[in-house]
Amino acid sequence: MTVEPEQLEPFVWRLPVGTVDGMRVPAIVYASEELMDKAVEDRAVLQAANVATLPGIVQASYAMPDIHWGYGFPIGGVAAFSVEEGVVSPGGVGFDIACGVRLLRSELEWERDVRPRIDELVRTLGRETPRGVGTRGRMRLSRSEAERVLRDGVRFQLSRGIGFEEDAEFCEDGGVLPSARPEHVSDKAYQRGSTQLGSLGAGNHFLEVQVVEEIADPAAARVMGLFEGQVCVMVHSGSRGLGHQVCTDHVAVMDRLMPRLGIQVPDRQLACVPLSHEAADRYLGAMAAAANFARANRHVLADGVREAFQRVFGRSARDLGLYLVYDVAHNLAKLEEHRVDGRTVTVCVHRKGATRAFGPGRPELPAAYRSIGQPVIIPGSMGTASYVLVGTSESAARSFSSTCHGAGRAMSRHRAKKVMSGHDLVRKLEGEGITLAPSHVGLLSEEAPYAYKDVSEVVRVCEGAGLSRIVARLRPVGVVKG
Amino acid sequence: MDHELLEHTADLGIRAWGPTMEAAVAEAVIGLAEVMGVRASGPGEVLTVRGDGEDDGSRLVALLNEVVFAVETGPVGIAGVRVRRDGGGLVADLEVVPTTTPGEGVGVKAATYHQLAVERRPDGQTEVRVFLDV
Repeated sequence: MTVEPEQLEPFVWRLPVGTVDGMRVPAIVYASEELMDKAVEDRAVLQAANVATLPGIVQASYAMPDIHWGYGFPIGGVAAFSVEEGVVSPGGVGFDIACGVRLLRSELEWERDVRPRIDELVRTLGRETPRGVGTRGRMRLSRSEAERVLRDGVRFQLSRGIGFEEDAEFCEDGGVLPSARPEHVSDKAYQRGSTQLGSLGAGNHFLEVQVVEEIADPAAARVMGLFEGQVCVMVHSGSRGLGHQVCTDHVAVMDRLMPRLGIQVPDRQLACVPLSHEAADRYLGAMAAAANFARANRHVLADGVREAFQRVFGRSARDLGLYLVYDVAHNLAKLEEHRVDGRTVTVCVHRKGATRAFGPGRPELPAAYRSIGQPVIIPGSMGTASYVLVGTSESAARSFSSTCHGAGRAMSRHRAKKVMSGHDLVRKLEGEGITLAPSHVGLLSEEAPYAYKDVSEVVRVCEGAGLSRIVARLRPVGVVKG
Repeated sequence: MDHELLEHTADLGIRAWGPTMEAAVAEAVIGLAEVMGVRASGPGEVLTVRGDGEDDGSRLVALLNEVVFAVETGPVGIAGVRVRRDGGGLVADLEVVPTTTPGEGVGVKAATYHQLAVERRPDGQTEVRVFLDV
């Protein structure tokens, strides 16, 4: 099928209704010409058009500049559905429910404090960070403890003295989604997840020591406690096997229900049910529980970061200023209030490989950030920059307050491995001054920087399209890889 | 009967075929074990898993997801597989070998319904295609 997107503005493209059969609204893609070419080539824009066929979709099916081909929904897709007539689709959230990023800042400076000890620091962080496929985490949970994590998110760890009390405030949703319903999480999901809390996982997940290289918005950076030359730690991980199983279970239920409900979709992985159906309630309750697990997982990993820094620098985490800047998810569906056609309405916003990016003034934001907007943490790919952005008021009308989630893959894993071996990649990155602790050198080049789009281009387009604004660029100096 | 891996920007697919649906599904299970890096040598113990669904495609996805679950929670390696039909489902007798280390391959989150296909080829072979989220 030939796709001919219409360019509406320098970074805004539209696929009109009719691009694929059954579209109810247009698809809007935010991209530069180069990123658009890639999205057309890998047919991800057709997936954005497919999402536009789902019942009750509001305004448009949106694609962020890091869009790439996913399963069902594109990665980098945003879709909002009417509560009365719309649907919920587990495929619109993805298997790694509430996968996301957490950024810790410190009072330490790279050149003066950390550079002389980076090898020891990365080694210690590597020891404190269980990682790899199916790995057991830092915490083992009994069934009743796991239920509490699913219900209470980071509040459970805080009740056990893990982390700082103020950590919760700087998580999206205060560290817990109260809509969680652990009773809709299967025994299988518990089994997969109960040993994995506090583990990084595999694939593109990582823990990085980074240096703030450039501040683009000094006022916002000051509010977030960021300064040039400062050492930060970024944690990218998700809900581990527990979240994967929740998605598996509920997609299967919806796939069976759809024919009976008279819903047809162009790709079975778009399986969905009306938001008014009890299967939607069960999924959203289980998804929120998995999101609480993901947030708790990053919280426990961050506790390991604080322990490692304390051990290496011989000072307390508070003394080192290891405070949470923010924790955001980039795979989630949420009921949010937005302005649609001049009215404030509640819609179910699906973000799959996209990040919520509320502008200033939203009541959901911590008081400290209400004047600047929501921090958005954009992980790069090992060896390239990561970014801190801030949400804009403009994005409310443009993308249901959403922006990108990362660089987005440009090359399959198989192709990436053919370009360079893991050992060669280690040598190359070490030559660039990056200290590495990979869990599996053989698989490392699957996640090489060249397998991803240019993250700087992605965030530049987000800023140009008004979806978010750049606050700071960070570069990696130490990588602990899943 | 055989299988091959399919390229996909972010994920991986398996194309598997054989003289019967059961043979094609057994090949898909072997392909999944290869992707996860958990092919093992026997002898092992038999672990039976089952995939139910309204059609063969959803039975295949359900069965592969049971294999993902078994490998991850065991953890086990897979030395062999025999697939049969039982009522409305597909049943796999996996020959599994306990392991202490996670697989050397890619972490598989799940088998998906994305571009799922089950078809009878002109040469009489049954072919299945399934994509994994990795």
